[in-house]
Amino acid sequence: MSADKVKSVKDDLVLQHKLFSLSRVWAIAFNTFTQLVRMKVFYFMLIFSVLIIGANFLFLNFTFEQELKILKDVSFGAMTLFASIFSIVGTALLIPKDIEDRTLYTILTKPVPRFEYLVGKLIGIIFLVAVSLVLMSFLFFAVLYFRQHGILAEEIKMIRGGATDAQKEYLKETIFAQGVRPELILGVLAVFLKAAVAAGVALVVSTFASSTLFTIIVSLVVYFIGHAQSLALEYYFPEGQIHGALQRFIAGIVAVVFPNLQMFNIFDGLITGQSISTTLMFRLIGLTGFYLTIYSMISWILFAKKEL
Amino acid sequence: MMAEEIIPAVQINNLTKIFPVPFRKEKVIAVEDLSLRVEAGEVYGLIGPNGSGKSTTMKVLLGLISATSGSSAIFGLSSSETASRGSVGFLPENPYFYKYLTGAETLSFYGKLCGLSRRKIKERTSELLSLVDLENARDRRLGGYSKGMLQRIGLAQALVGDPRLVVLDEPTAGVDPAGSRKIRDLIIEFKQRGISVILSSHLLEQVQEVCDKVGIIFQGKLVKEGKLEELIEIESQTEIILEHADPKILDQINKLVQASEETRLLRSGKPKTTLERLFLKETRAESEDVRKDA
Repeated sequence: MSADKVKSVKDDLVLQHKLFSLSRVWAIAFNTFTQLVRMKVFYFMLIFSVLIIGANFLFLNFTFEQELKILKDVSFGAMTLFASIFSIVGTALLIPKDIEDRTLYTILTKPVPRFEYLVGKLIGIIFLVAVSLVLMSFLFFAVLYFRQHGILAEEIKMIRGGATDAQKEYLKETIFAQGVRPELILGVLAVFLKAAVAAGVALVVSTFASSTLFTIIVSLVVYFIGHAQSLALEYYFPEGQIHGALQRFIAGIVAVVFPNLQMFNIFDGLITGQSISTTLMFRLIGLTGFYLTIYSMISWILFAKKEL
Repeated sequence: MMAEEIIPAVQINNLTKIFPVPFRKEKVIAVEDLSLRVEAGEVYGLIGPNGSGKSTTMKVLLGLISATSGSSAIFGLSSSETASRGSVGFLPENPYFYKYLTGAETLSFYGKLCGLSRRKIKERTSELLSLVDLENARDRRLGGYSKGMLQRIGLAQALVGDPRLVVLDEPTAGVDPAGSRKIRDLIIEFKQRGISVILSSHLLEQVQEVCDKVGIIFQGKLVKEGKLEELIEIESQTEIILEHADPKILDQINKLVQASEETRLLRSGKPKTTLERLFLKETRAESEDVRKDA
């Protein structure tokens, strides 16, 4: 190769390199998704099905309100559990494993900036959580739909001498208020947002952790403390009285290190039939965006100079 | 007018890499004041015992770790810039890949990372699977590949972006002699196509067969470097190999040597082939017999 040719190699490399490439990020994200799917994670759907179908038969002597409430409670609880496990364990399993197996060498020795690798992994895991929540929601809504119609038929049958149209209408209105409502989708969205924040936490931990186990344990600790974060802040700064730069700084650090995950538990209200304000949903979306941006940046800072 | 500077494929200047030992004051010097230069189109062999600093040098060059002091560059671009890896193919020692992907999916994934178009990826995947003899395993998941097959798919992923510099860390580890020879032939082909290669290997015979230049690294220092021919030549000795030599001729040569004051006959006898050559010859003959029988 002549000197001119080598010089043109340098120019080519500079010209061809994209500082940020969505197609590279998507390649990593899709690969992460495929990897998790092929690890047969969707077998959890069997457990989820058993849980929510079983919830129908366990409490047969309860009133229809209690029965539907338990069904929603169990379903939202299981959705939160599975989504959080996927986001934490998925992140903890994949990044440290890439480092341990040296698969990361082959990725980062291609023209892939480290930031793209992290974002790609995060998107892949969040995508998996989204798909699993869509599947769970379909099953949940289907079971709830059939159960509410079943209960309506049973209640009408129980009225002696046959129910009048007014009684039927009343029963339908009361039972369906506890059944499938579009607002339940907001509950599922909140579960998704919470799992996305948990994935962000696990991403930060996995960039400095030395093993999968360490990442899972630390992320779970942060996850649980995150549920009590608002209580702790209220205790130390009663009535939101945060004075002075130091207190502000401490409160800020606590809020970043331990995200307020309790805020995402809106399904408690939804189960009892309360409505959710649009403002609250936008606030949760904004908060998730904020946390994911901050966590991606922190991960990048920690990972940029990591010795591999 | 100043002469135009020739940009080498690889330039490492006074590289030092020190690893701190956690919770201790002491430090480990993995590489010390190492400088080397690989010209474009050159095959450079980096040899040395285990733990001598070969892999660390490669990692610094590829931006996987940073240098404590000194610098390294690929085609004139600093290793710290991601763009420097735009035309590099790397095969790490004992590579692991995503075992849930098939051979073709693996190459497609790395092709996407190199920014290749869908059409190009398809072309390169078929081309490279054929090159490394994995066409029959293209739709098999890597979890079911043998060590040698993994090494070959690793080589294919290193080549997917059509690189102008290939870095191979122990490329023949776990590969049978036929596969090893195939890798050797590929390196020779790279050289013919003007691709620069850095090769780290314990198989010194293989290094000798393909490298233009060799660097011997020991305890983190480059103790010897130069053109291979110059390094291995023994100035004071001369080799004569005869075919179908008559015992009388040999006797005359012996007498001439004995008559000389300075010349000494150090060794005579039948030259030996290598075990590798013998293995390849026998297995090739065997497979030809099988083919004929069939």
